[in-house]
Amino acid sequence: MQEHTQLSHKQINDDLLVDILTVPKWWLPAVAFLSLIVLTGLGAFFFMMYHGLGVTGLNRPVMWGFFIANFVFWIGISHAGIMISAILRLTQAEWRRPITRAAEVMTVFSLIAALHTPLMHVGRPWRVLYWIFPYDFSRGIWPNIRSPFVWDPSAVGTYLIASSLFVFVCLIPDLAILRDRVKNPIGKKIYAQLALGFRGTPRQWRLQIIAGILLSALVLPVFVSVHSIVSWDFAVLIGVEGWRSTIFAPYFIIGAIHSGVSAVAMLMALSVWLYGLDKYIKPDHFDAIARLLIVVATTWFFFFFLEWVYALYTLESPEIALRELQAFEWPYGPLFAIFVITSFVIPVPMWLFKRVRRSAALMFWTTILVNIGMWLERFLIVIPGLLRRTHMTFDWGTYHPSIIEILIVVETFAFVCLGMLLFAKVLPLIPLFDIKEGMVNRRLIKVGRRVIPATIREGLPHHYYQEKH
Amino acid sequence: MVTDPGNRVIEPYVETDNSAETRKAVSDGILNIHTVTSNRFWQFAALFGIMFVLGLIGFVMRLSSGFDDKGAWGYYVALFAFLMTTSSAAPMVAIAPRIANSHWRRPISRAAEIWTLAGCLNLLIYIPLIWLLPSLENGRRSLWFYPDNNAQNMESCWVFCWGGGVPAYSPHIWATLAILGLIVLGFALLWLSILPDLAVLRDHGAGWQKKWGRKLALGWRGTSAQWNWQYHRMGVVGAFYFMMLVFVHFFISVEFLMVHVPGWIDSLYPITHAHNALQGGVATVMLTMFFLRKFGGYKDYIGLDQFWGLGKLLLALSLLWFWFWFSSFMVLWYGKKPSEQAVLELLVKGPYLYLFITIFLLVFILPWFTMIWNPVRRSVWGPPILAVSILVGTLLDRIRLYVGAWDVAEKSEMMHSMMHMEMEEVPGSIPSLGIADGFVIVGFISGSVLIFMLATRLIPAINIWERKEMLLYKAEVQFHRTKVMVMGKPR
Repeated sequence: MQEHTQLSHKQINDDLLVDILTVPKWWLPAVAFLSLIVLTGLGAFFFMMYHGLGVTGLNRPVMWGFFIANFVFWIGISHAGIMISAILRLTQAEWRRPITRAAEVMTVFSLIAALHTPLMHVGRPWRVLYWIFPYDFSRGIWPNIRSPFVWDPSAVGTYLIASSLFVFVCLIPDLAILRDRVKNPIGKKIYAQLALGFRGTPRQWRLQIIAGILLSALVLPVFVSVHSIVSWDFAVLIGVEGWRSTIFAPYFIIGAIHSGVSAVAMLMALSVWLYGLDKYIKPDHFDAIARLLIVVATTWFFFFFLEWVYALYTLESPEIALRELQAFEWPYGPLFAIFVITSFVIPVPMWLFKRVRRSAALMFWTTILVNIGMWLERFLIVIPGLLRRTHMTFDWGTYHPSIIEILIVVETFAFVCLGMLLFAKVLPLIPLFDIKEGMVNRRLIKVGRRVIPATIREGLPHHYYQEKH
Repeated sequence: MVTDPGNRVIEPYVETDNSAETRKAVSDGILNIHTVTSNRFWQFAALFGIMFVLGLIGFVMRLSSGFDDKGAWGYYVALFAFLMTTSSAAPMVAIAPRIANSHWRRPISRAAEIWTLAGCLNLLIYIPLIWLLPSLENGRRSLWFYPDNNAQNMESCWVFCWGGGVPAYSPHIWATLAILGLIVLGFALLWLSILPDLAVLRDHGAGWQKKWGRKLALGWRGTSAQWNWQYHRMGVVGAFYFMMLVFVHFFISVEFLMVHVPGWIDSLYPITHAHNALQGGVATVMLTMFFLRKFGGYKDYIGLDQFWGLGKLLLALSLLWFWFWFSSFMVLWYGKKPSEQAVLELLVKGPYLYLFITIFLLVFILPWFTMIWNPVRRSVWGPPILAVSILVGTLLDRIRLYVGAWDVAEKSEMMHSMMHMEMEEVPGSIPSLGIADGFVIVGFISGSVLIFMLATRLIPAINIWERKEMLLYKAEVQFHRTKVMVMGKPR
């Protein structure tokens, strides 16, 4: 990081807790608006439950539509939290500090949003209970553990629990600060309970750091398994051309990282604009995340390229015909073009310019484009694959999403935004203790006429080297 | 003025030890080791030289057997893939951490780059393979999709079947260009990296080393413009090397492997192959580090930090090995398509089952269960032992896949379409290793090591300028009751 602002602990507390201890003017209208959208979406859901799935645009053979595309999209967004937080924590990247919390919280809310849609999609969501309490032992009604649809909720549920725990462990020191600063007695009591008696003793810090590192390492395999399993919902089926590809697991994961990290960049820009956090989230942070995005986006594009190359490599006519439908036929052709242009062709060349990388506004708009493209990518995987008229399909048609589906999908977006706003009202979106640790570790080194930032090397104490050599 | 969190004024800058004496001590220290060549070095060089001659004999024997029996070339192609997976991938250990600005790479980046010289041998091994690669005329699957005869047979195909076809020898041309490109980029990367050290040899060396430095240093004086030029060129060439490496592995894994097994359609495999190369490259450098430290006299330069840093990378790559393998296996196994069952029978469950289990243990299980423990990862002995395990496993893996694939290559050409393989067509046993194959495998691996050894006599095995640059960014400071290391992040 080139920019160096040394802040006192008190100033950090004051800056980052101000929006919790006071209410910004825009907050209530924003919450009311988002709540209205969420309630409308829930209304649409109850309408669908009453009337059945016939009110959606789902038909034969397109049995998976907006809901499943949206599910895969939100699972993808949820990967940002772990990507930013766990991987950057393990690799000791200094620039992670102000953005980890927002990314982790986004993971939790987007996972809940992701779980919405398949539950709604099944039509009778209460039947999920049968997986936990099979209602008729004598008939042997058990979930079929050989089905990816059973692996899926297990993996997503595990990920939700692990990421919530991760958020909580990283919150404990900040909860202790809130306990000590909040005046409202009820709030004080709640924060005191949640802070688990944290006083900042050396032992507590050691435990907190070890727990953070261990959870980072343990949650990574869960993060990889979740999207792999989501991809196998598609890839293990042999009946649908375009879905059965061995590359799907890594392709879905790198796509998830692409959209998730882009979403984090959007959140960073919003934090700067809405909460005035420009002292903490600086052009250097945007620059660092943009560099990461260049690598991620290019890797993702290579995987996308391979997926297509191998579809053509099969030399099987149904597969080729599907690709032609995806890329060249109405209405999927234009959507395909928008997907490629917005997720790669526009943003990546723009990120090559330093001025773009360091601008919050340009990063915001380019990352919005990425997520539009990545939503379309999921749509183009799900729908044309099912739409394709194969030999054994006697009933076919087209797919048009109904207003019910659109409302429910919009509801998931509003739900995540609302969740983030509510979270930011009661807990800090930037981890106070992490920022303070960064300040303590920060040093400067003069090289010739330049002053370069430096940091205390975490990990091994120096004497370790001398003793061992 | 800079203040600490308690608003107390702290020292504005951390002092680094970058005096002229320290810089000179670094140059002198490395040059002293570089200019002395022990008898033991020459003894080992002679041993590897003899084995390399055996390899050349094996090479001639293999050539003299002709190109008709493709199955007989399986071990030879496996060796080619193994060398591409190890020596050609080793420079990535210099490129990737340099781009990520990791300081721990500094003492080992040169050794990683020197491995690129062994690429010359890969080119020699590659030449006969051009004649072995089937053309596109028989309608085989290829990266070039549709030669004429296939385009006419496709139903419902109007966009991708452009009908005109592509030259039947496209794979031969492009693979050759890609491999040549990788070698040229590797040489360019090495030359850019050694420029400042050649100037040191020119100014402080003696005899032929002085002359050699004068010729190749091209008037390097270390001006700001020259340093900027060198940094930028190294970044660009390094990035291109990485892209070309992935491209080459894409080619090798398809044209020299997958097309020979009817029904093997695995879109992930090119990435798996490139990943195997990264894993093999890291293991190669790890072992090189160990030998340079233990026998090369560089104990004071290659420390725990390097083993620790590279060990973490090796652990991550071993975990990825499993994930890539399982992602492919899962889809092929779960689908139960007869043609894919036959592919799994050939490569995993049939004659190569025990070999596969050994590979699984060596490349994944052993590194995973040992490297997760800090005492192993943070030691000088742990990561090199696991690097041996990974290298042996990778060689066996190349043998499993390439020997298996080339064993059915000839049969697949006789099949009508090369599209599917029946379970009965899977061979029941592994082709035996001939004398020529044994000579080639041992000889060319020894030849690569010999090239590396001889190159370390021409070029310092430790990067002098990167080591000196480190002096600018590293300092020791007091932090409460202990001393800690402060590292500058210049870019």
